[in-house]
Amino acid sequence: MSGPEASVRTVRAYLRSRGRAPATMIDRYAAVFGLAMIAAVLGHPLSGLLTGLAGPIDPVRAGAGAALLALAVAGFLAAARAAGPVLLPAADASWLLLSPLNRRHLLGRTARALGVIALVAGVLLGVGLLAVLGAPDQLGWRLVGALVLGVSATAGGLALAVLGQVSPSWQIWLTGAMAALLVLAVVAMSGQLRTVMTIAASAPLTALAAAASGAAMLSALLVRRAWTSLDRIPTRTLANASTRAGHVARATVSLDPGALTWIAEDNRWRARRLASRRWPSLPAPFALAWHDWRKLARTPGRLAAVAATAALPAVLAQAGGPPGALGAAVLAGALAVASLGTSGARRDADNPALARLIGVGRRPALAARAALPALLAGVWAATALTALTLAVPATPQTATVATVTATATAGAGAWWVLGLLAGPALAAAALRMAGRAPVDHSMPVLDTPGGAIPTGPLFWAATGPDLALLGCLPTAIALLTQPAVLTPFLIAQAVMGAVVLMGYVWRTGRMR
Amino acid sequence: MHDPIITTDNLMVELGGNPVLRNLRLTVSPGEIVAVVGPNGSGKSTLLRCLAGLQPATSGEIRVFGEPPADDAAFWGRVALLADEPAWYPGLTAREHLELMGAVHARPRMTVDAAMEAFALTERGDAPPLNLSTGQRQRLCLAAALLRPSTLLLLDEPERGLDAAFRDRLTGLLAAYADEGGTVVMATHDEGLAAGARQISPAGVGA
Repeated sequence: MSGPEASVRTVRAYLRSRGRAPATMIDRYAAVFGLAMIAAVLGHPLSGLLTGLAGPIDPVRAGAGAALLALAVAGFLAAARAAGPVLLPAADASWLLLSPLNRRHLLGRTARALGVIALVAGVLLGVGLLAVLGAPDQLGWRLVGALVLGVSATAGGLALAVLGQVSPSWQIWLTGAMAALLVLAVVAMSGQLRTVMTIAASAPLTALAAAASGAAMLSALLVRRAWTSLDRIPTRTLANASTRAGHVARATVSLDPGALTWIAEDNRWRARRLASRRWPSLPAPFALAWHDWRKLARTPGRLAAVAATAALPAVLAQAGGPPGALGAAVLAGALAVASLGTSGARRDADNPALARLIGVGRRPALAARAALPALLAGVWAATALTALTLAVPATPQTATVATVTATATAGAGAWWVLGLLAGPALAAAALRMAGRAPVDHSMPVLDTPGGAIPTGPLFWAATGPDLALLGCLPTAIALLTQPAVLTPFLIAQAVMGAVVLMGYVWRTGRMR
Repeated sequence: MHDPIITTDNLMVELGGNPVLRNLRLTVSPGEIVAVVGPNGSGKSTLLRCLAGLQPATSGEIRVFGEPPADDAAFWGRVALLADEPAWYPGLTAREHLELMGAVHARPRMTVDAAMEAFALTERGDAPPLNLSTGQRQRLCLAAALLRPSTLLLLDEPERGLDAAFRDRLTGLLAAYADEGGTVVMATHDEGLAAGARQISPAGVGA
């Protein structure tokens, strides 16, 4: 055993001896038994799912599915880059990073964790790939090929992200890969790849084997390069990533995901170069609410990305999503978009010092701050519903909103109005999310046969979406039942949205 | 004779079973500058929180503008409180925070340009507040508190992070505020700031 390795091991052993009790034989038995149980429980449905993939599939669904897969991998790479991906626990970063310990040995544990992440994500990607392309013959071999391709893609992508931490030139490659995936998603969605998909789906096994081994070799080269350059990652980069991880861990332990968005937001703005602009003369509550508008105007790229996500429910519909899932995607997406316009309310809920100094009443402030999220959610939902009605006629076999819109008479083309009218209710829900208190861990824990369920986090997670569901009930019912005439739903949604928003502002503005 | 801005009578505050303030009697008139002095843990910040209505009294009475302090818009329209550093709004520059403060209040005490000048922030106006140094952030907080109109200014250790030269300037800025009829109550460890003010100690009964 070499000297430096011994020292990292010694330090880790010391830390372990001071920390929690070491794993006993019973612990290991429980872990292995748990894994065996999971395999036994999931084995049958999984094999059923896989055999169900045998046979050719519809090329339109394949295009949409490929687009979703490309977006998922791009998201995986973006998350890896945002996290580090090489990072240390905050305590290790403080105490062990700035020490003479061998850097590569110190980071070895992180590298192994990244390997496991790449493997799991790769397996999921491989199964997804098979589901998209189908398997006309030799299901077993095609599954192996898809898994190898999937794991190669995720492992190679993660290695690229690690290399991106080492030097900016690799960072460009990573950005290029993500851009290529986004382009691929758009092209796949537009139906241009139909011929390529058909050829790929019916490719002979030898071609698949060649593709899989080529991908595996390229990925292995990247992984090897990333492993050898682990000790060249600048300390500053590592320390930054690890501090972020420390915040994340703290936020996860205290189950206060709000803290995460603060950190991300503050870091982003600290890195930006801004130019002060005059504040418009508006009535006091609107002058206060103007902050959210200005902040959003300063992130045109993000706005464009958000606008592009309005196409996702349509992609999901083409990939064969059921109406319930499509409705949930539209409402959840619109709620998430509304939340982009509530950072002022979130800041004031977390720390009211500035709000007190500004001295605007809570009710007028809330009412003025509801305008932006209502507009964002309304426009996004309207766009998503329009895209859904436009996209679906391409797949007549999928029963969704458009099948009705195509045939129905007056009022049926007004799905987009329904989205717009859902805006106020979604704004109320987004403001409720922004103002919710941290998770209450003193709430009771439910003992169920499947294990203990703490109700505190459940209530926390439901605060906000509950109001969205209540306020968008007419839209939700319309999306599920696909009525021939929309007019009653439009009226109900207009009334419901206004009542929910006014009720929320009135009630919350009164509370202190 | 003007009515007092603040009166406390036999104010008692216990935190976690420990008495922090005991039988405190305090009267502050309009235009006065009061410095709450004393060692760490003597209850200076607690007294300020009581006056701002953020800490309920265990017993005794607090009156601000003749009635118990209330955490509402009408109260915060007259009272400017500066305690710990506030959370800054994301995406706004230092100057825009002052612009916001000026836009919300109908008659600000000074223009944004004048405030930037008075608090030596002109060169850092385009920086997000988190990119400023500790002292610059404290100057930004003070600028926001003094730009807006108010009748009562409650400051908890306003000298935090400030260099000696700016502390002297702050004494002058607070004196100007009091000359306009404003009332200042501040907890401070700075002898220079306290020297120009009526000094009280929360530990001293009936201060």
